[in-house]
Amino acid sequence: MFIIFATLEQILTHISFSIISIVIMIHLINFSVYENQRIHNLSVKGMIATFFSITGFLIIRWISSGHFPLSNLYESLIFLSWSFSIIHMIPYFLNQKNYFSTITTPSVILTQGFSTSVLSNDMHQSAILVPALQSQWLMMHVSMMLLSYTALLCGSLLSIALLVITFRKNSGFFINMNKNNNKKKNHFRNLHKYQLIQHLDYWSYRVISLGFTSLTIGILSGALWANETWGSYWNWDPKETWAFITWTIFAIYLHIRKNTKCQGQSTNTAFVASIGFILIWVCYFGINLLGIGFHSYGSFPLIHH
Amino acid sequence: MQVEVEAADLTTTSVFVVRGGARREGGDARIYSITQQDAPHSTDVIIAQRRRLGVQAEAKPDRKVRALPEAKGKKEIVLFDAAPPVREEASVRGSIAGESVPEVKRESSGLDLRVLLKKSSKRILAVLSNLPLAIGEMFTIATLMALATVIDQGEPPDFYFQKYSEDNSFWGFLNWKWVLYLGFDHMFTSPIFLGMLVLLAASLMACTYTTQIPMVKVAKRWSFMHSTEAIRKQEYSDSLSHASIRDLGVILMGAGYEVFLSGPALYAFKGLAGRFAPIGVHLAMLLIMAGATLTAAGSFRGSVTVPQGLNFVVGDVLEPTGFLSRPTKFFNTEVHVNKFSIDYHESGEVSQFHSDLSLFNVDGKELIRKAISVNDPLRYGGITIYQTDWDFSALQVSKDGEGPFNLAMAPLQINGDKKLYGTFLPIGETESSNVKGISMLARDLQSIVLYDQEGKFAGVRRPNSKLPIDINGTRIVIEDAIGSTGLDLKIDPGVPIVYTGFGALMLTTCISFLSHSQIWALQDGTTVVVGGKTNRAKLEFPEEMNGLLNEVPELVGINDAMDL
Repeated sequence: MFIIFATLEQILTHISFSIISIVIMIHLINFSVYENQRIHNLSVKGMIATFFSITGFLIIRWISSGHFPLSNLYESLIFLSWSFSIIHMIPYFLNQKNYFSTITTPSVILTQGFSTSVLSNDMHQSAILVPALQSQWLMMHVSMMLLSYTALLCGSLLSIALLVITFRKNSGFFINMNKNNNKKKNHFRNLHKYQLIQHLDYWSYRVISLGFTSLTIGILSGALWANETWGSYWNWDPKETWAFITWTIFAIYLHIRKNTKCQGQSTNTAFVASIGFILIWVCYFGINLLGIGFHSYGSFPLIHH
Repeated sequence: MQVEVEAADLTTTSVFVVRGGARREGGDARIYSITQQDAPHSTDVIIAQRRRLGVQAEAKPDRKVRALPEAKGKKEIVLFDAAPPVREEASVRGSIAGESVPEVKRESSGLDLRVLLKKSSKRILAVLSNLPLAIGEMFTIATLMALATVIDQGEPPDFYFQKYSEDNSFWGFLNWKWVLYLGFDHMFTSPIFLGMLVLLAASLMACTYTTQIPMVKVAKRWSFMHSTEAIRKQEYSDSLSHASIRDLGVILMGAGYEVFLSGPALYAFKGLAGRFAPIGVHLAMLLIMAGATLTAAGSFRGSVTVPQGLNFVVGDVLEPTGFLSRPTKFFNTEVHVNKFSIDYHESGEVSQFHSDLSLFNVDGKELIRKAISVNDPLRYGGITIYQTDWDFSALQVSKDGEGPFNLAMAPLQINGDKKLYGTFLPIGETESSNVKGISMLARDLQSIVLYDQEGKFAGVRRPNSKLPIDINGTRIVIEDAIGSTGLDLKIDPGVPIVYTGFGALMLTTCISFLSHSQIWALQDGTTVVVGGKTNRAKLEFPEEMNGLLNEVPELVGINDAMDL
């Protein structure tokens, strides 16, 4: 029985990984060579297939281990790539054209690639839940935290893209588009750039507010859980503290953005969001890497002991 | 008809906002002057020339009230002007509305202490509600917290002398003097950190009072627009030819909008809660801060390790955490550990800890009995008892059919999860200086490793198997392994407040995601001019509007529209 599950898991990760590689190839072709609607539709279908295979993987894990598949680093990374694919799907359901796919597709492949190839085979094994993790809050708290990380990572990546576009004087992409650099085309280029920046600013704001909401719920549900397990709703544990720091930075982002009326100042907010990008990684990975505090469940075993 | 023309005439130079919420009878026209900073979302209200205002005020109000059947009560004109000084604003309001002059006089002549106090408090409010200051506070708090995870917390001073010595200073400036002087060795209770939190709370309050609540007052005032120019000036605008405003109203209602119709004018809104929610977020934050303060100042905490079968009194364990900690009547409650057990997985790892506890009052009456485990504490009368730790208390052993004896287990190594306990059973001459005997070691309550008098491995026995082991002629039976349960106790009066704050914060941040959308429309002949704006979903809104407007049916006969 266990072997069947393990094989199924293997097959599903391979399927999703191959599909996502093809999707990335399609994106590259679309971006650099020529734009083809049929191939683009194929990439959309590919993402949906990836989403379903990761979902299948998580469900099989759930059945075989008997608990919600978020007990170690490997599972949480797979869950992260699953959340990226959800964020990727949302615009298609809303029929909105935006730039998420350029952010989410590489993110899915990076998290998946890291989790399957960098982490050792031992770490792929589903772990037995320690007594403190045996709670219904596990599902609520960890899934909310990972969803918020995903949304915040997407939003801050869009903001970083905004910064790059704003501060790069002559990007190769735009030069290709107008080889004859006369005034009229220059004007068009500026307009295009302006619109792109505006869109990036707007979408990063929307995704970050979504991520901020789920981060709030995630932290608070964690606090409720801690009051059932550790004896206090707040313990200033390193992971808690860093989650709170991340929360504070994105609260600053939302406040600054609310008060910038003119669009020219979008670089300020984008700068704050890119600080947030680093903080999320410290919070998600850095603390586990050090293996300190109560939240050392998903640590790297080599470093921890 | 004549009235309508008059209204249209007025709108060419100035536009008014009829306050539909006010349904008081009679009254005169009152003019509000709202400064720009009071109302950041001023586009929905209208600029009227002050010269024009005099004319408005003189006009007979009763007639104008009748002009719009929806707004029965007072007609109020909202004037947005380029932020006049406070004094002038008051006098303008007084003279136009025909209020008594003395009030204005009193305000202008009052240079007494009260006014001074009022002024200084206003200035303090203005400084505190300043957004850059609040952002600075948040940033400082974030930095301090980050620093607290870098610097080890709660170590003795010697630790900091060595780690942050002056020659080997951290980041060049952070040596032990600074760490100890600023209290960074106990960051989360240091005056700097707590002071920043207090400052942030003050900023939150000031911002809620000076910025957010006035904003709500503006947002609540829903209004019609009677000029197509004003509607076309909105962030989104469109016009539908051969359409009826009623159809538009029905479609907007279907899309979840609150729709108000008044003659040819339509006003609709959705997601108003999204506009109010940020206030809720701030209030929830304040509530959490208040609750956390109560937790820090008024709690009792304590931990105890009790062998199975023994008891302790709650009040002996609990220690106050602050000056607000007051003992309760449940302090003399006695806790009896009926049973302590550990569940193991097949692989030998701990699955769960269980403690069966009974609480007795002074008279020996059992109040409550519950088997607690990690994630499932016992709560009674404000006291919470958590399962947090375990210990090996004693081993019950019989020797050659005698006994059983209770041998106390000594902790040999307590290093996180890897515990090791040992005990010793003397054999033969117990009075001599060179006592020999059987050593028993255990990592957990599952299996005991036995060594003979020479220190050689003799065998492994499970406590409940009753399987005897023969060591150099001595027959040993491990009868039972008695564990101690590690319990954490607390009384925290702040929890209900903090939990209320948590609930409110979760709810309000979710609601804050909602976008407050407002739509105005005006029937202009057979054309409906539609305009709208939203505060968050600025790019989705036009698409939503285009979709909704496409649903509005096109009227074939022009007369149909004229029926309105």
